[in-house]
Amino acid sequence: MRVIIIGAGQVGLNIAARLAQEKKDVVIVDRDSRALEMISEKMDVQVMEGSGSSPEILKKAGIMDSDILLAVTDSDETNLVACTFANMLSPKTTKLARIRNDEYLNFEEIWAKDLGISMVINPEVEVVRAIYRVMRAPEAVEINDFAQGRIKLLGILVDEKSVLCDLNLSQVRDRLKIQEVVVAAIVRGEKLIIPSGKDNITKGDLVYIACRDNDLEQISRNLGAKSSSTKNIMIIGGGNIGFRLAKFLENKSFNIKLLDRNRNLCRELSEKLQNTVVINGDGTDQNILNEENVKDMDLVVTLTEDDETNILSSLLVQKLGAAMTITRINKPAYTPLVRTIGLKHIVSPRLAAVNTILNQIRKGSIISAVAIREDVDVMEAFINNGQGVANKKISEMAFPEGVLILAILRDKEVILPSGDTVLKSGDRITVLSSSKCIAALEKNLTARLECF
Amino acid sequence: MNWRHMAGLLGLLLLFIGLSMLFPLGFSLYYKDDGLAPLLWSSNIVVVLGLLLHFLFRKHKAAGINHREGMFIVAAAWIGSSLMGSLPFMLGGFMTPTDAIFESFSGFTTTGASILTNIEELPPGILMWRSFTHWLGGMGIIVLSLAILPFLGVGGMQLYKAEVSGPSPDKLKPRIRDTAMILWKVYVFFTLILIVLLLLGGLSFFDSLCQTFGTVATGGFSNKNSSIAHFDSAYVDWIITGFMFLCGISFALHYKLLTGKIGDVWKSPELRFFSFVAVFLILLSTIFTYLYSYDTFSQALRYSSFQIVSIITSTGFVTYDYLLWPALIQLILLFCMFMGGCAGSTAGGIKCMRIMLLLKLAYRELFRIVHPHAVRQVKMGRALVKDDVLNGIVGFIIIYLNLMIISSLVIAAMGVDFVTSLTSVLACISNIGPGFGQVGPASNYSLLPDPAKWLLSLCMVLGRLEIYTIIVLMIPEFWRK
Repeated sequence: MRVIIIGAGQVGLNIAARLAQEKKDVVIVDRDSRALEMISEKMDVQVMEGSGSSPEILKKAGIMDSDILLAVTDSDETNLVACTFANMLSPKTTKLARIRNDEYLNFEEIWAKDLGISMVINPEVEVVRAIYRVMRAPEAVEINDFAQGRIKLLGILVDEKSVLCDLNLSQVRDRLKIQEVVVAAIVRGEKLIIPSGKDNITKGDLVYIACRDNDLEQISRNLGAKSSSTKNIMIIGGGNIGFRLAKFLENKSFNIKLLDRNRNLCRELSEKLQNTVVINGDGTDQNILNEENVKDMDLVVTLTEDDETNILSSLLVQKLGAAMTITRINKPAYTPLVRTIGLKHIVSPRLAAVNTILNQIRKGSIISAVAIREDVDVMEAFINNGQGVANKKISEMAFPEGVLILAILRDKEVILPSGDTVLKSGDRITVLSSSKCIAALEKNLTARLECF
Repeated sequence: MNWRHMAGLLGLLLLFIGLSMLFPLGFSLYYKDDGLAPLLWSSNIVVVLGLLLHFLFRKHKAAGINHREGMFIVAAAWIGSSLMGSLPFMLGGFMTPTDAIFESFSGFTTTGASILTNIEELPPGILMWRSFTHWLGGMGIIVLSLAILPFLGVGGMQLYKAEVSGPSPDKLKPRIRDTAMILWKVYVFFTLILIVLLLLGGLSFFDSLCQTFGTVATGGFSNKNSSIAHFDSAYVDWIITGFMFLCGISFALHYKLLTGKIGDVWKSPELRFFSFVAVFLILLSTIFTYLYSYDTFSQALRYSSFQIVSIITSTGFVTYDYLLWPALIQLILLFCMFMGGCAGSTAGGIKCMRIMLLLKLAYRELFRIVHPHAVRQVKMGRALVKDDVLNGIVGFIIIYLNLMIISSLVIAAMGVDFVTSLTSVLACISNIGPGFGQVGPASNYSLLPDPAKWLLSLCMVLGRLEIYTIIVLMIPEFWRK
């Protein structure tokens, strides 16, 4: 599979790195020759200097032979123009564009039909979704959607106080008081364990659990989250994301306070928001935070443009007594640092977009995938009659080692399988796989499509 | 630097070299010659050494290879394989250790400089190994490894850049493995065609294999004492001339040609320059040798074409003792030794691309004297050449010339005469083979003192890896943490 990526920013790079690892042919187009030089040294991809919106460059990059075009520069206009030309040169290529401006987003008819763009990704929307997911299961450090959100995959960090600590895997279902959960993977230090019944959970493990969407709240409660779920929320930073989040949460009957330094912006926000208390003030100012009773907040989300401000604000409100914080981090280098200083939940607009895009571009019957770690993917796939896996028991299938079926969606019914479960044609399965096995798995599931 | 990871990789490369010794071993078995035991032993030694290195350090995973590590691996791989490649010569008692190492370096770097005075007395298996080292080194052992060993994908670009010739090597395909695979496929394609053509010319299978390896790698080893002249056939001369020329052209261009993009190929400025220079020099040489050395025009054309192409592509095959030719043509051959073929080919030398860019750079300076405020950039065809690349080339030429000066002074200090000192260094650093004087076409390197052979071995590998890869290992800055 050949993929052209326009824009060597964080989004483009992350996607390129993952695809190159999966042995796909990747061409990156950007105008910055220095950035490209660095990339060509670090990754096994082809780089091309030039503007991605130029049809000449698109042609040179091989748009005619490409399966997918990803336009993910920071400029909406460049992305749109690139997709437009790509559509004229090669209509069969799947086109994805990263677009932030609402004024473009609202005309779905045009970009879907006339420009042939099959998907538009807005990092800001993605990050709001990510924040909401974390809110619903605060005990999980990360949470991902599958089967259109019907199946959830939770990542839970186990400490000595956790109910899961020192548990055998066979006891997990009883402890969570829900029968239909699957322990998908355990990450212990650097090691990934794809579990069998014998494994134990110990302190410090990151445990991944697949469950039904309906059971999410119950699991979250049984994991020890306070029964009175999140009610009072403070958002620090009233930029695009802060505004979007406030607007989204307003409809879900939360008490929301939105804090921003900029007086004019606050005026604008109070005009656009109906049930939100807009406060003009600095998120790192203790007086203002105390004045607004930050200690009673169930959740504080820090969303300013500035990573350092977000980190400081989050630490401060935690010290002042806020129950939980979610911190927006842009620089990937900060991610490992902030976990160690006690910020459990972080979101990154760009990384949120990466996972959504990766979902879209898997080959053949594999329809979506999420990287839960650098070397582990969870993906969804359709089962057809022709694949040789239909009508077989899971325990009998010749899947490569390091592959685990987490859940099956059959006619809107979610099945969390055991070894005796039989796969049927038309099933939509959620599979966990280590990166090494992806190619083999793809082959297994699309044997009929690849004629060579 | 991540030594363990690199040791593991080197182990695999050695394993590969050890296994490749099984190819000439087959010929030894067939001819039941004395080469059997030494080849078998060498293969065993190298394979065991490789496995040992690999399995000792196998568990050490690394994210990739940075550019320093890449250079070190490539340099170590070339020096290591050349040293290991000398084992069959040494163990069989066919040569002294110094000579064996010189011969092996000469083989892998596709130089073709030999210390053998009577080539034909060696067993066929050993001769086949000697020629086979050319073939392995021609397209490059690293590029071959990239094509067949899947794990080198990450960081492969570092290795690729350190080995492939030319100022700024490009990828043909998004993935390095596919790129390497294409280059090798073209290489194997040429090899097969040439074998068939030589078989049609009446050569034995063994002979055509040896000549083919020497030709497509632009190496120059032959299994005959009198090189290609042994066959004394106009057909063979012309076929080999043609293939030497082809293999002096960038293999990326060949790929384009084979995929039908003929227009692109002819538009290549480097190819035009290379063809023009070759044709012009052939005509000049034909006219002068016709006037002074040969009776018929066709003879003059045949010998001139062969010799000019052989030297300009850094092959170093000989069909006639060019020391008997007019001085003008000898001088032209001397200058051809500097130039070499196109970037991205199997040829050695400075490469046409660098020469062209240097000429353009020089012209820009002239232009600027006339128009002091002019903005003029150096272009290749229509593409802008970056200042980084130009600076790299200027640096390259300066180091190249300095190396020549120092090395030839050192060799002269050992009591070797003036012409021999200069041309032996030039012929080795440009991977050509025969030079002038004592190392001329009718004689060889056997008479040089041992230390000179060591120095020349170093020059060969410096030249093959285009100097930077090896020479950075010699500056302290490289080793600083």
